Amino acid sequence: MKRCFMGALAWLLLAAPVLALDVVATSPSMGALVRAVAPDATLTVLAGPDRDLHALQAKPSMISALRGADLIVAVGAELEVGWLPAASASAANPAILPGREGYFEAAAQVPLLDAGGAADRAMGDVHPAGNPHVDLDPVRMAQVAEALGERMARLDPGNAASYRNNAERLSAAVAERVPDWQGRLAGAPGVVLYHRDAVYLLDRFDVPLLGTIEAVPGVPPSGRHLRELTAKLRGQDGVIIHAPYQSPKAPQKLARDLGWPVATLPLSPPVDADGDGYLRHIERWVAAIAAAR
Amino acid sequence: MKQSLSRGALLGALLSPVAAIAAGDADLATLRAEVAAMQRQYESRIRALESRLSDAEQAADAARQAAGADALSLPLTAPRVLRAQSQAAAPAPAGSRSAGLFDAVTSANAFNPQIAVILDGNFYQDDSDDGNGAALVGAAFQAGGGGHAHDHGDDGHDHGDGGHAHATAENGFNFREAELSFTATVDPYFDAATYISIDGDGNVNLEEAYFQTRALPYGLRVKGGKFLSDFGYINRQHPHAWDFVDQNLPYLNLLGFHGLQDTGLQLTWLPDLPFYALIGGEALQGNQEVFGATLGDTDQDELNLGSTNTGPRLFTAFAKIAPELGRNQALQLGVSYAHAEQHQASHTHTHAVHEGDHDEEHGHEHDDHGHDHDHGVTEIVHETGLAGNADLWGIDLVYKYDGGGAYGQGDFTFQTEYLRSIKDLTVRSSAHPEQIGSGRTFTTDGLYAQATYGFLPKWKAGLRYDVLGLTNEVSGGRSASFGSSDRWTADITWNLSEFSQLRAQYAYNDILVAEDERERFNAFYLQFLVSLGSHGAHEF
Repeated sequence: MKRCFMGALAWLLLAAPVLALDVVATSPSMGALVRAVAPDATLTVLAGPDRDLHALQAKPSMISALRGADLIVAVGAELEVGWLPAASASAANPAILPGREGYFEAAAQVPLLDAGGAADRAMGDVHPAGNPHVDLDPVRMAQVAEALGERMARLDPGNAASYRNNAERLSAAVAERVPDWQGRLAGAPGVVLYHRDAVYLLDRFDVPLLGTIEAVPGVPPSGRHLRELTAKLRGQDGVIIHAPYQSPKAPQKLARDLGWPVATLPLSPPVDADGDGYLRHIERWVAAIAAAR
Repeated sequence: MKQSLSRGALLGALLSPVAAIAAGDADLATLRAEVAAMQRQYESRIRALESRLSDAEQAADAARQAAGADALSLPLTAPRVLRAQSQAAAPAPAGSRSAGLFDAVTSANAFNPQIAVILDGNFYQDDSDDGNGAALVGAAFQAGGGGHAHDHGDDGHDHGDGGHAHATAENGFNFREAELSFTATVDPYFDAATYISIDGDGNVNLEEAYFQTRALPYGLRVKGGKFLSDFGYINRQHPHAWDFVDQNLPYLNLLGFHGLQDTGLQLTWLPDLPFYALIGGEALQGNQEVFGATLGDTDQDELNLGSTNTGPRLFTAFAKIAPELGRNQALQLGVSYAHAEQHQASHTHTHAVHEGDHDEEHGHEHDDHGHDHDHGVTEIVHETGLAGNADLWGIDLVYKYDGGGAYGQGDFTFQTEYLRSIKDLTVRSSAHPEQIGSGRTFTTDGLYAQATYGFLPKWKAGLRYDVLGLTNEVSGGRSASFGSSDRWTADITWNLSEFSQLRAQYAYNDILVAEDERERFNAFYLQFLVSLGSHGAHEF
């Protein structure tokens, strides 16, 4: 027993100096960034790619993960507004509250689209601060990665060089792929989305957004809206893409009526994705959009 | 980083020979320090320049995108983008960046608290004898007497506290409440919230008004003010967050309409463990309408109950634990205890008296709780004053599954709680002097179990069974056991959007309204809930 205790003590003493950053990421795309920038960090990803980050509920497991975290990496711009403030307040961990070094929002690091709209909920669940879904734009994500590297360098100066180098490596990998993606998406006929959740990707590669299935955010489409959409798009080419948690009914009906392909693609890569996993995820989107021709 | 280091080294190399010639050994150290300082200064300047350059590049990039791409990516509908197009070039991105790197991008008003108003109204119909079913469910018969809703006869007792009226639903249209909430971060040390409810008659009630610490170390948090206790699970939920229109029988009868809501302090500790565990306790004033009830001055004098003690008179302790079950489901178990140091009650009972002969027809002692003796010609109402303390135990279990379907389709929740109230009272005054000083222990328990399921996008069905008085007895100076009240409830909720919902609810009630009197009735609700203002929190 005593030996066991001494062993445990020795283990603790040995283990203490190599304490890695304890990071919590709200979504798998944020998790992929963390893995790319700090492969040795202890990482918890709170939501899978098959769940709507806007509709989650604060769960005890999230609170427990946030309790000991050094850093929370969120997409931000109110995407997680329903549950992250509730969970992080309950986590009794002052280091990760907004305004502190331990709070990192991707959306705060890059320029946002769709910002400044009217704060009128007759237009649905609108967020005038801007469209939060920055994680599908690889170029913005590269910028976010560099900002994240700087942040981690502040939190853990001992490994600062490694964080910065890793961030630069991801940035370089993105820069290397962009021309290829650009080439494949040049002249793509366009996409119909369910929700304006992939506009950053379309915007980056000049792919036209031909319409959204929901007329206003957070409200299911009416039959009339779908008929209008069909009428306007008939005869054109395009592809319909929706996330796994969005009802497939309307997208499938529209696809049948227009004779278009329909793809179900998550907004985030798999939970265990790293930087390469993120690039493969963008690759899937590029392939789906390019397939419309 | 590497680059600027090498630049610094170059600078150092250029300057060091000069220094060596000009100065002796003593000055050498000072010079080295100066050179090092210069080197650092240059480094930081270079870094600042680099970051300005990259900012400028980003801005130019954004402008380019805005000018070039938006025209192409306009959707057919959703006119918001038109605004984005005109603003994306300059002010909008700048605005979004001005949030500061550590901050949250938010549309909440800069310094104003987040404000929300929730409106809660219903159409109600029941077929109880007097059409007062909604009041009956809150006044189910308990061995120890209920709270405010208990009928004390015509002599209208004034409760010392918490005895204000609140509207229970009447047949027809009811406006239950408009709940105003204000929440904000006060400063780096505190968050604060205020919840005010205004009922359909214009009565204003302060539901909660508290501060909570945000910067304490070791997982500690302190909450102070008036708040809903963390006793149990459903206690801290406001009515609009319930899965059913009305509160379950155990909470409604053992804690009253507002639940365990009191003024005091709460301390919680969230230890840093690989799973969720929370331990906490509260010291509260004791102004609780049912469980911590004390009577008004007049009654206290008449019934020899003594005055209300100074607070705090009510204490709670609770522990919650949640095993790690992955991302899509959650289970939480809790155990709670509350102790009211002072509980006062007045029980009335009637005696039938034969005409001409004034001998009281004592039945048994259990006629403490007035029931009619058929042969009675006249009735005498006796009032007994009791004082002592009360304990409340609670166990709760909540399971939630996130089905991942569109708009809550496939989501499942199950929640159950068991409450047991034990009141240890002494007879302080009675028409039967021999009883004064004798003890009475009143025990009443209850449980509810409810489940909801998202059967379609935006549509949720719920089923609840609740029962009060599985044990419903008095022991001590007299012993008696009574029956229970129970109810089956089913509802369907339509969440039109994040901000509005409509609900239809049906319940079959079997309520013990007096010791040997039952009412069975059907009750039907149509409810609307709308939320104005800030985006609500999806609390567990």
